[in-house]
Amino acid sequence: MGSRIIFLVDMQSFYASIEKADHPEWKAIPLVVSGDPKRRSGVILAACPLAKAYGVRNAETLWQAQQKYSQLKVVRPRMQRYLEVSLQLTQIMERFTDLVEPYSIDEQFMDLTGSQQLFGSTIQMAQTIQQTIHEKLNLPARIGISDNKVVAKMACDHFAKKNETGIFHLPSDQVPEILWPQPIESLFGVGRRMANHFRRMGIRTIGELAQFPVDQLKKRWGIHGQVLWMSANGYDHSPVTRNSFQKPKSIGHQLTLPRDYYTEKEIQVVLLELCEEVCRRARRQHYHGKKVTVGCRSADFDHPHGFSRQIQMSTYSHHAPTLFPYAWKLFETFWDGKPIRSLSVSLSSLAPDDLVQLDLFTDHLQHQRLDQAMDIIHDRYGATALLRASSLLPASQVKERAKKIGGHYRS
Amino acid sequence: MKFQVSKSALVEAVSQVSKAVSSKTTIPILTGIQVIAHDQGLCFTGSNSDLTIQVNVPNQKEEQQQVTVEEMGNIVLPGRILGDIVRKLPGDQVTWETTEKFQTVIQSEQARFELIGLDPDEYPRLPHLTNRSSFTLHTDTLRTIIRQTQFAVSHDEAKMILTGVLWQLKQGKLTSIGTDGHRLARKQVDIEGSEDLFFEHVIIPGKSMAELAKTFNDSDGYVDIVVADNQLLVQNEHLEFYTRLIEGKYPNTDDFIPEDGQIEVICSTRDLLQSVDRASLISRGGRDHVIKWTIKDGIVEISSISQEIGKVTEQVKAQVSGEELSISFNPRYMMEALRSLDCEEVRLLFKGTMAPFTLRPKEYQDTLHLILPIRTH
Repeated sequence: MGSRIIFLVDMQSFYASIEKADHPEWKAIPLVVSGDPKRRSGVILAACPLAKAYGVRNAETLWQAQQKYSQLKVVRPRMQRYLEVSLQLTQIMERFTDLVEPYSIDEQFMDLTGSQQLFGSTIQMAQTIQQTIHEKLNLPARIGISDNKVVAKMACDHFAKKNETGIFHLPSDQVPEILWPQPIESLFGVGRRMANHFRRMGIRTIGELAQFPVDQLKKRWGIHGQVLWMSANGYDHSPVTRNSFQKPKSIGHQLTLPRDYYTEKEIQVVLLELCEEVCRRARRQHYHGKKVTVGCRSADFDHPHGFSRQIQMSTYSHHAPTLFPYAWKLFETFWDGKPIRSLSVSLSSLAPDDLVQLDLFTDHLQHQRLDQAMDIIHDRYGATALLRASSLLPASQVKERAKKIGGHYRS
Repeated sequence: MKFQVSKSALVEAVSQVSKAVSSKTTIPILTGIQVIAHDQGLCFTGSNSDLTIQVNVPNQKEEQQQVTVEEMGNIVLPGRILGDIVRKLPGDQVTWETTEKFQTVIQSEQARFELIGLDPDEYPRLPHLTNRSSFTLHTDTLRTIIRQTQFAVSHDEAKMILTGVLWQLKQGKLTSIGTDGHRLARKQVDIEGSEDLFFEHVIIPGKSMAELAKTFNDSDGYVDIVVADNQLLVQNEHLEFYTRLIEGKYPNTDDFIPEDGQIEVICSTRDLLQSVDRASLISRGGRDHVIKWTIKDGIVEISSISQEIGKVTEQVKAQVSGEELSISFNPRYMMEALRSLDCEEVRLLFKGTMAPFTLRPKEYQDTLHLILPIRTH
């Protein structure tokens, strides 16, 4: 493979910038997008550069942010809108190359190796993309450039975000000169705990990791150690691909409850709803799975307890009434009886659902027809158009959840 | 209590009852083995919540003195350590003496173990059998029944009923069925003199069945089978094997078993088994365990494709009657069924791509395997 040209396009203060683009009157005001302060989701999701100038940071509570600047403009998240804009961004980028990989809601990788003849030099292309996004959506973008994904990401995080133009080109052969002096936690994939491990081994900078014997890293951390070592050296061969072609490892949903749930009856209602949601998403992606994982956390966030356990089913499934008894059995076995505040269900050991082992005692075809009918109704008329009777109980979260994306309100 | 016993008899008895002793039990006394010395000889018992095994070691075996009891009594000793100790004793003769405080001295030649015992009064009694009905079976037949049906049971605790083997006795015929829903194995044997007996929902835990086969692995001759409420007892002169039964109603499987089929294949069991085994080398590496058969004039074509690994095809000669058919299934079910059949030639009957198919020995009807296909689309 010859040298590639990879961009990481990052949207500055994405949610906050969208709000400002949609409401020009807020342009000059320090603004934050924050969850409902009355509920537990009251944390800062995005802060505009003006707010950041007052020291406001992402993920702190709204209350803490308001201590720093009491006049903050607080806006509720509109997740549906942000998703739409994210898709529009992808469409804009797809004018430059067909290889666009959404990495998160506000970051996308682009492979422009084949587009050089069309759009000029590397830096020119980056400027054109930046301008196009600004013209079409009135949003600021920063672009990290390299010949692979991991270096492009670090070029963006550590340099493009900090310079005037918002563009930084870091070819991997300049990694020793530019990236190696950076502290070890600046390496992509190194968190606080990993940084502590490294520091105890005498590794303080990216360069020191890059020159560390890889065998020792492999011995201690296995493949993960090797990947970090490769990143430190600026090696990364992973291609830019559409996420949709990647097979998911698991499909899961987590739910933070609005209040403590105490009784088996109440928990069963939401557990079944989570199973339904997981199965529905699995069906949409045409996967069925064999392993069910159930997790829960207690109400007491200061003394957290809870569990995450899994069980293997005897067949692949994406039919909620099949999943539920396993999920409930797990919950019943490991629950300590204390009130819970969050619950999660996921399905893993996935396989494409085009192969179905027939069963003497289960009519898979009937299940399939029923699920299909339900999916069509939900897709056309919304998630609340057709509910299980148990979802009419007060414990149900379906209606509340239908209003949200990623735990925050749609609009 | 005090006695002498030949080492081989002691080792044999302890290893038999050890099969029922679990170190994971929540009832501490059940980690032990109970030993009773009485005027006829010794009696060893091991037990867990599912099964209980009791072995009697008589004073004399084939005119040879193997046990000499000097003082009668009983004791419970930790099961695992007792098993390890008796196997490693140096001499042919063992002297055993238990004092009042459950302390037990086991001596053989120069070796002398002093073990701390448990109170035998705490040891549970043998299961009480109510509503008994019994018949006899040759151990060969018992082992065959287990070997041909136990492997097909479910291991899914959520389907408790299917983790057991079903036994039904009607009109002098014992039917044994194991199924996990994806395949089914059925064996029928005639039981002489049992025409008056009738039961239809005796569900024996699959694990107990496996232990039962091991327990009577070296025995010859007949065993008595006693069916009671919630318990099954299998016994011969020296050994009693009790197992708990699974409560509940086993689903009716008769309706699922097709007696005929439009497409018939008769083939060498060995050739078929070997080819399916080879094809499964490819399917095992893939995401799903699936192989495909295409049945046509005079041959069965076996193939398997895995996107990551590659593919395999081969043909096996067979007598085929009926139309051409393609069918996909899990090769493990086929291999386990073919391995359990004791016949040169096997007869398979198919109804269609989506329908369960059967395997039977060509020459007789008492053994049947049913396999459900994998739907592909």
